[in-house]
Amino acid sequence: MQEVRGNMSHVDDGTLHAYLDGELMPVERARLEGHVAECAACRNRLDEERALVERASGLLGLAQPPERAAPPPPLHQLRRPSVVWRLRVPVAWAATVLLALGIGYSVGDRRDMRPAPEPVSMRSADSSAALPLDRLGYISTPAPRLARAPRAQSPAQTGPLAAAERKETEREPHMVVDGAPFAAPRESVSYGAAAANGVITIRTRDTGAANAAPAPAADSVHATARAALPQRALEALQEGSVRTSNASVQRDDARRALVATQWPIIRRGPARQILGAEPMGVPGLAIRNIRRSPTGEVVLVEQAIDSVTVIQLFQERAENDQFARAYSWSDSARQQAGGVQVRGGTSGTERLARFIGGVRVEIAGPLSADSLNRLLEQVKPIGP
Amino acid sequence: MPEDLAEVYRSTYRSLVRFLYRKVWDAERAEDLAQEAFARALVHKPENARGWLFVVAANMARDDARKAARERRHLTLLKSEPDAVHSEPEDRIDADTQRERVRTALDLLTPRDREALLLWDAGMSYDEISTQTGLARGAIGTTLARARRRLVEAYDAGSEGQHVARG
Repeated sequence: MQEVRGNMSHVDDGTLHAYLDGELMPVERARLEGHVAECAACRNRLDEERALVERASGLLGLAQPPERAAPPPPLHQLRRPSVVWRLRVPVAWAATVLLALGIGYSVGDRRDMRPAPEPVSMRSADSSAALPLDRLGYISTPAPRLARAPRAQSPAQTGPLAAAERKETEREPHMVVDGAPFAAPRESVSYGAAAANGVITIRTRDTGAANAAPAPAADSVHATARAALPQRALEALQEGSVRTSNASVQRDDARRALVATQWPIIRRGPARQILGAEPMGVPGLAIRNIRRSPTGEVVLVEQAIDSVTVIQLFQERAENDQFARAYSWSDSARQQAGGVQVRGGTSGTERLARFIGGVRVEIAGPLSADSLNRLLEQVKPIGP
Repeated sequence: MPEDLAEVYRSTYRSLVRFLYRKVWDAERAEDLAQEAFARALVHKPENARGWLFVVAANMARDDARKAARERRHLTLLKSEPDAVHSEPEDRIDADTQRERVRTALDLLTPRDREALLLWDAGMSYDEISTQTGLARGAIGTTLARARRRLVEAYDAGSEGQHVARG
């Protein structure tokens, strides 16, 4: 040991400081002390470094926070960490959900000028529609969800005799896997294509040949529809998810039209041009938006009954009737013209439409058929 | 665990405040941050509370400094210049001036040297500093030696500069 110490080279600064800080291992300490005892130069350096350590410590002591008169609060009385820190994970989740809902809500109900997602409501539900629909499905439902399959609707079923049978079919939940490839007729469409709470109905024209028309990306359509709905409608949708009665079927169907809330917003002037007449509305109800269908044939007037309930008035030129069939809820009851029609829809529901002057007005909203009917009776051209 | 933390609170709170103060240079803020760090520890219940607290505190101070850098700089300029000369008692001026010089000197250190020095001054061992900073334990002594030397040199240089300027 003695030789080792004797032969030891001079001690470096780091070791001296570690020694002065009391942080040398016993062996190292002993070695250093042995060396310093014999090496005057290192002894001097040790003194210098000791002065340096004390000086630096003294300087840091000058940079003290002023002593506080009050002692720190007891540990258990410390205020909880900032809410943001404590809740960051839950908040992040909540924010994600809210953001998603918020986007959906604003897309659906606010006056943004987002171009209409054409495929949702107007384009045929052929397989090419699946992609845009998927893109629109940015409001993903929280959990994987099975969409009920659209009803098969054969020409035979459109006949009155098939009505009862159809109703039965309606209530039967058909499960489809979201996005599965389906053969769908090009004609099949309505603005109600996106259904409430997983009930997707793709309607076909009477001429429809291949009719079984499960919606591709049904869930996306559904999600978009939900996204467009105000909260109350959403709640109602949830309630209506189990379809036990014809009444709930009606509610579901009435809400399908809400998907059209993504159509582009227009002013009254262009609406007048489309209709060849003043757009129609229920007097006394605030007009939220006037929209047009992506094809420019249908005008949609949205009116607020209250802050969350919106009714929709789909309007088109009466002479577009043929064309309008493609959008209509129902084809079977188009024979009558004028007056209030209570029409048996293909899904066993009642749709309400009326001809006023040269304009056909169809009403939809999260209300009972009776209420909608009463509102429809009041519809008039919107005053200047 | 809570008793451990209570003990750490007793033994470390002041050190943590001091440590934070030399980062944020605002006594009240330093206390706030220290208390917040302990409050977080109450929730998080870290195994090595002391080390954890300093890590959290250092992070909070860094975030805090980033956030408040601009306004604080502004406020410091507004606050310190006229008042220090006219209305403060003599010894107070000295204390403030010296603190400012130390602060300036500390700012001249490399972040790693400064961190090691502040952690040491806060009462951490070489092992703890090593864990905290990622420096090898064997390098701590060297780092501290360099940090101390530079701090003293920078402080003296600052003082001389000021004396020259005043003289």
